[in-house]
Amino acid sequence: MPKIKLEHVVMRFGTVTAARDINVTINSGEYVTILGPSGCGKTTLIKMISGILHPTEGRVLIDGADVTDVPIEDRDVGYVFQNIALFPHMDLKDNVGYGPRVRDMSREETDAVAEEYLSLVRMLDRSGYLPSELSGGEQQKVAIARALASGSKVIMLDEPLSALDARVRVELRYDIRRLVKKLGITVLHVTHDQEEAMSVSDRIILMRKGTIHETGTPLEIYRDPKSIFAAYFIGETNLIECTVVKRTKKGNTQVVLRDGSVTRVAGIRFEVGDPVVLSVRPEHVYTANDGIRAVVRDVVFMGTYWRVRTEADSQDLIDYNISADTDTPSKGDVVYLVFNKKAARLFARPIQGLQEEIVLE
Amino acid sequence: MPVIRMTDVCKRFGDAVAADRLNLEVEDGEYLCILGPTGAGKTTAMRMICGLTLPDSGTISFDGEDVTELETAKRGATMLSQQYSLFPHMSVMDNIMFGPMIKEWDPEDSKKIAANLLHMVHLESRSKERPTHLSGGQQQRVALARAMASGSRILLLDEPLRALDARLRLELRKDLKSMVKSMGLTAVHVTHDQDEALEMADRIAVIRNGRILQVGTPREVFDTPATPFVANFVGRSNVITGKVSSREGDTISVDCGPVTVTAMDPVHGIGDDVVVAVKIGNTRISKKEEGFFSGRIERILYEGVSITVEIAVEGLGLISSKLPNRKFDDYSEGDEVSVRWMPSAASVFDIPECGLEEELRVE
Repeated sequence: MPKIKLEHVVMRFGTVTAARDINVTINSGEYVTILGPSGCGKTTLIKMISGILHPTEGRVLIDGADVTDVPIEDRDVGYVFQNIALFPHMDLKDNVGYGPRVRDMSREETDAVAEEYLSLVRMLDRSGYLPSELSGGEQQKVAIARALASGSKVIMLDEPLSALDARVRVELRYDIRRLVKKLGITVLHVTHDQEEAMSVSDRIILMRKGTIHETGTPLEIYRDPKSIFAAYFIGETNLIECTVVKRTKKGNTQVVLRDGSVTRVAGIRFEVGDPVVLSVRPEHVYTANDGIRAVVRDVVFMGTYWRVRTEADSQDLIDYNISADTDTPSKGDVVYLVFNKKAARLFARPIQGLQEEIVLE
Repeated sequence: MPVIRMTDVCKRFGDAVAADRLNLEVEDGEYLCILGPTGAGKTTAMRMICGLTLPDSGTISFDGEDVTELETAKRGATMLSQQYSLFPHMSVMDNIMFGPMIKEWDPEDSKKIAANLLHMVHLESRSKERPTHLSGGQQQRVALARAMASGSRILLLDEPLRALDARLRLELRKDLKSMVKSMGLTAVHVTHDQDEALEMADRIAVIRNGRILQVGTPREVFDTPATPFVANFVGRSNVITGKVSSREGDTISVDCGPVTVTAMDPVHGIGDDVVVAVKIGNTRISKKEEGFFSGRIERILYEGVSITVEIAVEGLGLISSKLPNRKFDDYSEGDEVSVRWMPSAASVFDIPECGLEEELRVE
């Protein structure tokens, strides 16, 4: 049975529509991230599920029961905020034991539960500390322990890592996933960070302008995005405007760039003459003896690889990656680029223009 | 001659040491990133360069001239702080044009520069609006554009991209650097984000507990880290401890519990206790070839351009390997794989005095 279901949910704030006709199902034990740019309605969505907001229209179901009109305290949904909200005057054990205690558990039971969850986030040795004695990442671990200790099988994580240092964020995201998977908790995790979404999710819901733009596993969305926006927002990609000139017998589509150079993409979804946008990720662009002529503008060390930034004769900016242990070209060098035609994708060119299609706000 | 030079700069706040004999030179036209965890002393270093905080001892000079005691306004450096203060009654455009106006630049040139800057921060369409109508991230971008147009040759940027969405941050990384370069400015950029520093910096200064641990190009800091902390902070590393058991030329063998690994290291002698750190991106796995040791794949994470494979190894715990995404179909959870690396990809260090766990703490 699906754990959470939203049916035709709409949320309006005055004249602003933060959610338009949202239909989504979350399975029990699933780790789902809601990803999207600022103001896309992702936080509104989890606030409606937890009961902080009441939808203008539509229904919210948890375990098959309609909870649309059930108040927040009776929903049994844990919620972790971006800005760590621990009680500053209580030690960690009392913070984590807060939920059980207000449910009239005995002091002994409360302590046992608090200790259990503190040990799950590996903070048991500090149970007597005050929140102010911890680092930001540690405080957020305690906040998660507190949300889980009330026994909720569903937890909403509202940008739980955004306020933390980049390196801490990386460690903690793996820790969170390990923990909730071990406990079989259903998670909805809101983030604007695509890398974070990719590495923790079973499934990503990409939102934009109050609607669900696309959903899929990280692999599906990265390898086979259904839209230009998804290709651009999740991972990095080169977007090149071109026109279809030929459908080959081998099942490829031949396209021409603005300067007349041609390249091929596997599959034949478009007609000759169609205006399209070619999307190819930097790791699928290679140099060869012949291909799209481009001039190297910059070479940037990215750790495990070099990112080469080029400008093609068509004026398209095309990036590609090369392994960190290979020789790099120099600025000003001419290179010839070819694409992995099976990894490249074609999309219909948007009427409003490419820039408008990928605008982030 | 370096544009900015800090010599033996110290600063304490009560018991806390924010700067412990900082020595740093920034060259003309350089883009330098100061990278470190929260509380490392990054912002203090920046405020001392700018003149907002007075060092307890040591000197700061600009173009060879001692400015340690000189007031901020006379230093010719502009600082963009984490709390950006825009003029609320002026439009976005007028905010950006404020510097050029009071410096009486040619109005045509100023307009051109302002237009370019607005384009860089993706706010062309908002130029007539008041800052209060913008989101926090948008305000930060206006502040960034205003700082760049201030006319100062030296730009001090304190976490300039922190408040922005991840995707926009990626865009602004390349735009900000190329704009700084094209305007011929010298920039010092404070950040806690390793990827940002790697991608943007000409040189990185890694700072922790008020001390500079290493200064070098991104490649130097990544490939030849000065300490175990740097090895694990700038790109994740597998870090293991052991005892040197033999040497062949520059290559040593290190016994780490039940396994033996090799590493390039001319310094340590047989019997020494050492730390071996290898970037997870340089940690190779294979189902066929022999490695230093083997383990069972516990988890495979698809992260876009790369995948991270976590391998449970008896006696060592979890070892991670970061691979190009095309390898995703080659492995499954539960597979037995062997693990190896090029000896030259490993860094070898003494056991840190404070203990390895404390050394590797990232906050």
